[in-house]
Amino acid sequence: MSSRDVVFESKEVTLLEILDRVLDKGVVISGDLVISVAEVDLVYIGLKALISSVETMERLRGAPFYGPMQEPN
Amino acid sequence: MAAYIYGVIDSNDRLDAAMTGLKGTLLRNLPYRDMGVILSDFDKRIAPITKDHAFEHEKVVERLMEHFTVLPFRFPTVFDNEEGVLSMMSARYDNFTDNLRRLRGKMEFGIKVIWPGDKMRMRLTPDQNSSPLLASDTPVKNFLKKKFQEYQKEKKIENEAEARIALVDGFFDGLAAEKKLEKLKTENLLLCAFYLVEKGKQEDFRQAFERLRSSSGEFKYLFSGPWPPYNFIKTANS
Repeated sequence: MSSRDVVFESKEVTLLEILDRVLDKGVVISGDLVISVAEVDLVYIGLKALISSVETMERLRGAPFYGPMQEPN
Repeated sequence: MAAYIYGVIDSNDRLDAAMTGLKGTLLRNLPYRDMGVILSDFDKRIAPITKDHAFEHEKVVERLMEHFTVLPFRFPTVFDNEEGVLSMMSARYDNFTDNLRRLRGKMEFGIKVIWPGDKMRMRLTPDQNSSPLLASDTPVKNFLKKKFQEYQKEKKIENEAEARIALVDGFFDGLAAEKKLEKLKTENLLLCAFYLVEKGKQEDFRQAFERLRSSSGEFKYLFSGPWPPYNFIKTANS
């Protein structure tokens, strides 16, 4: 068990923390280079049903989002 | 074969241990000047990509973090081939160099503070003294007064939030190289904070959080980390 598991209040929070980072942060490459943009778009659609952070998914799709973020328990 | 990218590291050496990534594919370090891109072959027929794959991505980045300074890529980043990856590296080499230098020996911690914002909003009553609604006023004037009262209510909450956030942030004074504080992302999420902390200060940072948590039972505090520095990478897109 990692130190992170010890300090987290619940498993659900852990999942949200991870997903909010890996899906929405880090180095983002956009389409001016040799990237399979269409392939990536398909991947995003595949993920849509799995992710509970609505805000993150709306941003990934490029649509504006005005509602509240999924809140940790 | 397409290349799936996990991140850029501050080493162009071959990886010591056999590490695996998405779907058990072997990781390799594609060297570019004094850094390297950690990638694995990506079969585009692997679909749909799942939440588990996102976790595998994160696991790889965390393992890299144990040995290198790492710039994690957002999940999922796929290039058609290695030439494309090298082209990207050529275009972004200077930016990656700056990021690697700034983030060396540091890790990210997350802190969330939850407060009863919804209850506070219900408790706050409009300040009738400053702009009382009068029967003699026109409907338009009373409408504007109501709007002004609502504005005052929101301002009170915002001021209270800012004061509380300053108190929370004060616990971590001098412990973080950089920070990002996001206020009231939702009614009850008072603070969503990210701190970039040197490895040598992580224990002090944890202790500061424990002091914060024991300072007040009124709010709920959530702590996470250490993370790769997802929130502190500065690129042209960020």
